[in-house]
Amino acid sequence: MRMARLARLELSEEEIELYLRDLNGFLASGRKLQQVDVGGLAGTSHALTVGTVLRPDQVGESLPQAAVLAEGPEVMDGYFKVPRIVEGQE
Amino acid sequence: MRRLAQLLAAGEITSTELVRRCLERIKETEPELNAFITVDEEGALVQAAQSDERRARSQALSPWDGIPLAVKDNISTKGLRTTCASRFLRSYRPVYDATVVERVKRAGLIIIGKTNLDEFAMGSSTEYSAFGVTKNPHDPARVAGGSSGGSAAAVAAGQVPWSLGTDTGGSIRQPAAFCGVVGLKPTYGRVSRYGVVALAPSLDQVGPLAATVEDAAILFSLIAGADPRDATSTEARPFALPAWDPQVVQGLKVGVPEEFFSSGLHGEVEAAARSVLRSLEEQGAVLQPISLASNEYAIDTYLTLVTAEASSCLARFDGVRYGERVPAGDVNTMFAKSRGAGFGPEVKRRIMLGTYVLSASHYEAYYEQAQRVRTLIRQEVARAFAEVDVIITPTTPTTAFRIGEKRNPLEMYLSDLYTATANLSGVCALSLPCGSDARGLPIGLQIMGNHFQEELIFQVAHVVEANVERVAGFEL
Repeated sequence: MRMARLARLELSEEEIELYLRDLNGFLASGRKLQQVDVGGLAGTSHALTVGTVLRPDQVGESLPQAAVLAEGPEVMDGYFKVPRIVEGQE
Repeated sequence: MRRLAQLLAAGEITSTELVRRCLERIKETEPELNAFITVDEEGALVQAAQSDERRARSQALSPWDGIPLAVKDNISTKGLRTTCASRFLRSYRPVYDATVVERVKRAGLIIIGKTNLDEFAMGSSTEYSAFGVTKNPHDPARVAGGSSGGSAAAVAAGQVPWSLGTDTGGSIRQPAAFCGVVGLKPTYGRVSRYGVVALAPSLDQVGPLAATVEDAAILFSLIAGADPRDATSTEARPFALPAWDPQVVQGLKVGVPEEFFSSGLHGEVEAAARSVLRSLEEQGAVLQPISLASNEYAIDTYLTLVTAEASSCLARFDGVRYGERVPAGDVNTMFAKSRGAGFGPEVKRRIMLGTYVLSASHYEAYYEQAQRVRTLIRQEVARAFAEVDVIITPTTPTTAFRIGEKRNPLEMYLSDLYTATANLSGVCALSLPCGSDARGLPIGLQIMGNHFQEELIFQVAHVVEANVERVAGFEL
């Protein structure tokens, strides 16, 4: 339940039961990895070591606002509209 | 492809005729195969007419101008629906082209449609698509493989001459093996992923699928090379189609890792792979037994990293800027309901596992440990390539399995047993057909090369291909 909340994912009772079972199977695989002696090895986050890539800070082209907003489920006055986030006055 | 290019150049065939031929073939075979999610008949004919005009003015953009192509549906195509085989994106139309799409369009290729995949590329059989399973053209009771199952089946059935796929743990090579076509997972960083919907950005690559080694190499030459919009590709060199040299196998050191020829490997697959190895040896190659013992951990490492990265990448699908939204009173409920309704079972499973792996109390034990084991695997592969030029293995332990056969997700993950290592270590690897089993199902051979050694593995594959009967492809 906590994981589903963290993932912002609504699940049915049956789904929660199913994924809990899968999680237990999956944890066996994690435990297998924990047996591996990795000594003092650092982790790999990317297959090839690339340093931080920089580019000149120049103004480039942007996507047209109207085209981008056209994909939004709900838009208003040039913004994406979402349900109220902050409690309080309108 | 050279023949199509010659016919186009000589005016003996037009791009419009080629596109119509593909559309006919799609109409004939698609009811059974389901390789496509979207076929853009109208758009393809407009593009073909433009290509024919360019040819008429002798302004062809490349020798390949006017040749049709299919694109996996997790690669953005401007104005053309891109669903990732998810209900969440069932009507999403990207507002820009992925870099690879921009590049194939610049060469004049015609995008005929978008191919089926496992939802968000999570799977090995295309059974997890919200748009139905893709069938194997060699036996429709069997899977085409995945996640690029639609791209492989479309080429195998001759619906299109070639296609683009993506590969995170084997998603180009495994379906290529199951369908009897050639598929390349390029070196990490060789091809831009800009505009490709991310599954696991530390592993994902875009690559070509085609009926022959040369065709795959041509398509690769169109998409490879640096792109400032993908920081991992900024040092990537372009790729030029080589002159084919059968002498390349003289003295070539071929690594044969015993771990890839052990338990779980189907007898006929092993026999086909060993027969290629013997033939290479007869042609002057030197076979060298090597050990990639850490491959035992490849699937577990891959699973941990891919679920973690996927759960993070898929956070962007929240129902705010694109995709399907389920209305709710507050924003968190809206996120949860939209995601709950939009994602299918495998996507939810991986988000849950990934969220667990990345949670504060388990991050170190699972995610960080997997990253360290990944270093171990990477170092072992590097040591192997210090001794040998290429590594040859079967692509998959078995040929295509039956639809519905693998019910247990962990069992499904094992079909990437021989392919995930190339993604974890970032090296390039291709699969090409090397025979068929007793049922007539294609068998795939994997050739792995060190970072940026695509030319070498294409050369070796070209030699292997000369002795193997072609089992699939586009006919005029």
